[in-house]
Amino acid sequence: MNLFVLLAIAAAMVLVQFGVTRWVKLNLLAWMGIWWVALWAAFSYGINPPLPNSIIVLFMAIITIALVAYLSADNEELKQAQESIGRFMVTRQYRVALLIVMFLIPAAVAAWTFSSMNQAPQPPSSGRTIHPPPPSSITFQGTSINLTTANNPLRELQHTDEAAFAEHVASGRRIYFENCFYCHGDNMEGAGMFAHGYDPLPANFNDATTIAMLQESYLFWRIAKGAPGLPSESTPWSSAMPAWEDFLTEEEIWEVIIFLYEFTGFEPRAQGMPH
Amino acid sequence: MRILLTLLLVYIAYPAVAQQENDLGTEAQRAEGKEVYDIKCAHCHGYEGDASAVATPYLRPTPRDFTSGNYKFRSTASGELPTTEDIKRSIRLGMPYTSMPAWEGILSETEITNLAYYLKTFEPAFDGPYGNPTVVEIPRAPSYSADPDHLARGQEIFAANQCADCHGENGRGNGESAPELVDDWGDPIRAADMTKRWTFRAGATREDIYRTFMTGLNGTPMPSYEQTIDAEDRWALVDYVWSLSRDTPDYGTTVTVQGRSGELVLSEGLFEAAPEVYFPIVGQIIEPGRAFYPGVNGISVKAVYNNSEIAIQLQWHDMTAETDGMNNPLIEVPMFDPAQPDTTMDGWSDAVAILLPSRTPEGLERPYFMFGDSRFPMSIWYTDLATDSAAVLIGQGSGRIADNGIALERSASYEDGVWTVQFKGPRNQGELTMPEATFVPISFTIWDGFNGERGNKRGLSAWYHLYLEPMETQSSVLPMAKWFLIVLGAELLIVGLVNLRARRRKTA
Ligand code: HEC
Ligand code: HEC
Ligand code: HEC
Repeated sequence: MNLFVLLAIAAAMVLVQFGVTRWVKLNLLAWMGIWWVALWAAFSYGINPPLPNSIIVLFMAIITIALVAYLSADNEELKQAQESIGRFMVTRQYRVALLIVMFLIPAAVAAWTFSSMNQAPQPPSSGRTIHPPPPSSITFQGTSINLTTANNPLRELQHTDEAAFAEHVASGRRIYFENCFYCHGDNMEGAGMFAHGYDPLPANFNDATTIAMLQESYLFWRIAKGAPGLPSESTPWSSAMPAWEDFLTEEEIWEVIIFLYEFTGFEPRAQGMPH
Repeated sequence: MRILLTLLLVYIAYPAVAQQENDLGTEAQRAEGKEVYDIKCAHCHGYEGDASAVATPYLRPTPRDFTSGNYKFRSTASGELPTTEDIKRSIRLGMPYTSMPAWEGILSETEITNLAYYLKTFEPAFDGPYGNPTVVEIPRAPSYSADPDHLARGQEIFAANQCADCHGENGRGNGESAPELVDDWGDPIRAADMTKRWTFRAGATREDIYRTFMTGLNGTPMPSYEQTIDAEDRWALVDYVWSLSRDTPDYGTTVTVQGRSGELVLSEGLFEAAPEVYFPIVGQIIEPGRAFYPGVNGISVKAVYNNSEIAIQLQWHDMTAETDGMNNPLIEVPMFDPAQPDTTMDGWSDAVAILLPSRTPEGLERPYFMFGDSRFPMSIWYTDLATDSAAVLIGQGSGRIADNGIALERSASYEDGVWTVQFKGPRNQGELTMPEATFVPISFTIWDGFNGERGNKRGLSAWYHLYLEPMETQSSVLPMAKWFLIVLGAELLIVGLVNLRARRRKTA
């Protein structure tokens, strides 16, 4: 987000909506034009990292359709708009303005052609499907695990046997510091000592949009299968997240999951709720 | 009047009082410090502050053993304890390029103060006669001067004080005695690479550099020069060291590959005009052979192409060139090999590889960055620097790497701490093509033989891109004219029709 630009645009629009319209009666067409330009500026300059051109074009097309629909929803206004455009094209008094507009539109198109042909090439953006849908079951070290019904078998100890649960947490801690913290960080904020070498960055477990909104079986799948196990339609392909099934046992993975929740203080999402 | 006088007396006497009283905080502060320490610090520094904990075996440099009283960062003279403010600064800013995180923003200022008091409890000397050391005055830095005479004076001081013995003639960390350096805990330690000042543990401003050689770094071979370097020469030395490095690593993501007509003859001149990009290298810490402290932390890359071939130049800093012995990505290494071998590990040579996908990827698909996977293999341009050949290997994961018999042209040289390796290969290899104006995924691996790196124990990078800049750029004049005329024509048509209709209506 480029807050400064967005704020400036928002301020300008507030001014147009509540200030200018009080003094000058804005033509509906002019009002639509101003909104169009404001939204275009917000998409083009207000977002960081910048959106690809194709996305901006798509958004603007949708907005154009929406504005036209808004206009044509009211017969009276539509007619007025049509008439004012017609008048602009035939009245002698507007002749000079018409010629200027008729020159400016193709000039803008030519300028756009120039800039799109001379743009620095963009590497394929590493778009990210935040939480791709998991398969319904996986084969883990030879045995099949049904992800829709799997529960963390250690979870019930939390209430029945606190000492045993604490032992599993300690074990999870050992596993985390043996395997995960170089990337995910000792504080679980995704800023481990080697995190600067990766893109996408390792997940930040303190963020409310990662483990706090996931089921434990989902984590099991991500940890067991890592980036190589992502479904073929989901990015990020360049993720460094390893497939831990090669190095950890089933119990060890459940233990490290418990530790993730203990350390961050989050609760896993209950089984049965959709992702 | 009497009150004023007492105040004055207290004011005069105060420094003397402060001299005697050690700054140890209150009981409550230390207890609160312990609470935070046990959650945030103990897994690295140990519950007893003695650097023995779950994470310690996997970290190089080893987390500080607070019972030793040795602190690298201090504003106090060599061998002395740090001040409370020094400890707080280390906690706040962390130690770059080690596992010691910066806690600023995560912990509050109060928590950091409490922690500093708690750390002091691990070393009884803080409570003794040396517990309140005096601070070495660091004058305010004059503004940086790039005057050649001034820098030449700095270089003289650098040479006269044997900085080069450890840090290397041009500061690349490749001094003659660098390979033998160990710290007070017996771990091998590397002299800082002055051309990468962002890696300095104790800060990289000019005042920081001044303080570092004035106070030395306790527990390391880095000595103090407070007694040996004259005051008027100190800023010349600082500015010389400063002049050796850029400000930030400036990590890139894409190598722009320039087109060349004619044959690509591997030589220094071939890459002269090509833009250089610097990428981070990190340790392989996933599979057996984990490298917690890779010998190399960055690589510079340049590339050019012609109509059939591509040539890529890799450069990195290495303390020593291992050109004896052997290396191979298939050598088996235990999961936890010694983090850093005690002596020169004879037998392992330096080696380097460029990793490419084995086929042109569709969209964002990539082989897994380690050595590929069976779904999507990797094409590995590998050279062992003890030999003078290079070949393309096909990787389907660690341990599943085979030579596919394609030889590559390669040249390699090592000079004053820098390896330069150039590869040349075909632009089209099997299912991988590198057409103009496309992005080709690329990553890198370096084996530092001195560091015992071999097989899967290595420094590696994530995926980045090569971009083959088109040799001839298309002129935009014609398309611009075309679109201008098309839109203008459409406008004329509309305006014409509307006018026609209006005129008809008028006459009707
Ligand atoms: C080499 C670096 C690396 C290591 C080591 C690593 N991870 Fe990851 N991990 C990543 C990256 C990068 C991502 C984000 C991209 C993705 O989702 O694949 C990630 C994502 C995840 C996610 C998904 C979070 C989400 O919101 O979808 C989980 C869970 C996870 N890691 C757990 C672990 C655990 C547990 C370990 C240790 C056993 C571990 N990781 C070790 C790099 C690493
Ligand atoms: C992930 C492991 C890790 C964690 C967690 C960690 N440290 Fe460190 N710390 C290190 C390492 C490694 C060093 C040594 C760096 C070096 O020698 O270059 C270090 C060094 C230090 C130093 C010494 C600085 C000096 O001048 O020598 C202090 C003080 C310190 N840590 C305090 C803390 C405190 C307080 C915490 C908790 C809030 C903490 N550390 C958490 C790894 C860690
Ligand atoms: C006996 C070997 C030796 C000599 C001589 C030496 N250094 Fe160092 N220096 C080291 C080592 C080892 C380190 C790395 C310490 C570490 O990583 O904690 C270092 C680190 C540094 C650093 C970086 C400090 C940091 O914050 O990481 C600077 C700056 C530096 N030295 C300057 C100098 C200058 C200037 C001289 C000469 C006046 C000099 N050194 C002489 C061994 C030496």
